[in-house]
Amino acid sequence: MKKLILIFFFACQFVHAADKDSTYLYHFRHMEFPEGLGKCDACGCSATGGSMGFSSMFNNNFVGLRYFYQSYTSKDGIFDNSPKVDENFNTIQVWARVPVSKKIQVSALLPYHFHTRERSTGDENISGIGDMTVIAMYSLYQTKKDSTVFTHKIQAGGGVKFPTGKYEEANNLGSVNPGFQVGTGSFDYLFLAEYMIKRKNLGLNAMANYTIKTENEKEYQFGNQFNYGTTLFYLFDLKHIKLVPQAGLAGEVYEENTQRHQAVSDTAGDILFSRFGIEAGRKNFSIGLNAMLPISQNLSGGNVEANYRWSVNLNYSL
Amino acid sequence: MKNIQKAFSILAITILFAACSTDNSENISGIGNLEIEFDNAYASNDLILGIQENATSNGEILKINSAKYIISNIVLTNQNGAVFTYPKSDSYFIVDESGQAILELENVPAGNYTKVKFGIGIDNDQYALGAENQGDFFVIAQSAGMISGFTDGYTNLSLTGTFTSPTVASETPFMVKTTKTATDSNYREVTLDLPTKALVRTDITPEIHIIADVSKILDGSHKTRLSEHISGSEATINSGEILDLITANLTEMFIVAHVHND
Repeated sequence: MKKLILIFFFACQFVHAADKDSTYLYHFRHMEFPEGLGKCDACGCSATGGSMGFSSMFNNNFVGLRYFYQSYTSKDGIFDNSPKVDENFNTIQVWARVPVSKKIQVSALLPYHFHTRERSTGDENISGIGDMTVIAMYSLYQTKKDSTVFTHKIQAGGGVKFPTGKYEEANNLGSVNPGFQVGTGSFDYLFLAEYMIKRKNLGLNAMANYTIKTENEKEYQFGNQFNYGTTLFYLFDLKHIKLVPQAGLAGEVYEENTQRHQAVSDTAGDILFSRFGIEAGRKNFSIGLNAMLPISQNLSGGNVEANYRWSVNLNYSL
Repeated sequence: MKNIQKAFSILAITILFAACSTDNSENISGIGNLEIEFDNAYASNDLILGIQENATSNGEILKINSAKYIISNIVLTNQNGAVFTYPKSDSYFIVDESGQAILELENVPAGNYTKVKFGIGIDNDQYALGAENQGDFFVIAQSAGMISGFTDGYTNLSLTGTFTSPTVASETPFMVKTTKTATDSNYREVTLDLPTKALVRTDITPEIHIIADVSKILDGSHKTRLSEHISGSEATINSGEILDLITANLTEMFIVAHVHND
């Protein structure tokens, strides 16, 4: 019953799509006209945090809060000597992963974003509810409990990201980073797969997902995105606390954005992070801390540089 | 079983909402506006007036204090080959690094444009209209210092600043002004392809972002040494055959960086 209530709660979170005709368009008209160094939507308006994933290594079913921070430095202009801009993206997500049946789990994330960036003309801020994502995962295979040394679990599923967050076209009008948004203004469709192998307390999780992004009302379409990652984790089952240190890799690949069906230059890219963190749990509560550092990247034709990301989450095990 | 039913109904609802998409029927008619930005650069750097040191291949270091040129006779070609010539009397603009950088064109027929053509300087047809028919542009050019008397002719391009070189150790003022000579108006035209189409609509105003690389003026196909043009305490280039050589460089200055369709 509790689970049903939760599902309804999340389903009813679905609000009508974001306000479409923004008459509030502010233009940056000054000599160093800032340029459209397009990027992905994962930076700012990501509902999911890109390759940060939907899961916890600690518990399979939970409801919780996650905060994550992303730091970027972008070039504010198209020249070698264009000024650099520091961008700080903050997101708080309500997230949950609940079993709906024996083989089906539903995940949902609803973010709230508050981002700032420091330009030569002054600081800019944007904040608001972001795009909600709902995903259903089906368990394709799971090793029976009394099986041998290794246990495997394979899941696949799909989901939808709803344009509950407001898309500011003004931020794509020759702006440094069109990821400086709280929403993409579009319905996007996700396809996911996840694999977990465990032996006693040691486990390896691998995930991949592909998002097909659609055109929003302003005829801007972010490029499709492929995220992948793998995490090695170990469960320390101690007397009063469980600890799960974890480390791995996470990558994101972006196809180029289009505006009115024409490609926007310098919007494709890719990045590979190392990630490491720890989750700790006691009774039904768990807390996690995670950091991501770029290993290699080429975002927006080199005009956007990811510095690092980190996140903290507080989960309640179901 | 009940749970699965609930999950499927949620999925069904989401698909229903996802299926609702806006109807984007293409309706190319009417008129709109178009903006052309001339963004001055020196090689791969943004042009910054004053302190920025800009090197030429001859080892001269330029500090540019002003850069101005006349852009005229704008013509747009759309994807079907149809040509729209901006009304001549409105088609004269001064691009000034220290001031206006964006040309605003109005009443442009809706269409998908693939090329832009423009002139640098003043053409013979415009001179042929005579002093009394120069319109508002004459006054604009006067206050920009791009013309004094009509018979002297307009300055097509003006570049001023100071420089040093291996043979000129102390900061020396320089001035380059291309204008018409007895034999040549020194007006040149440039046609640029647009990397993405400029979609002019009643509700879309595209912006063509053009980079004007001013290093080409003295350091283009023809290379000029300011140190060879010193008379008195300044280097002055404003007459003679050299103007034709420099003018030939000007067509190399411009490329389209990109087009926004907002």
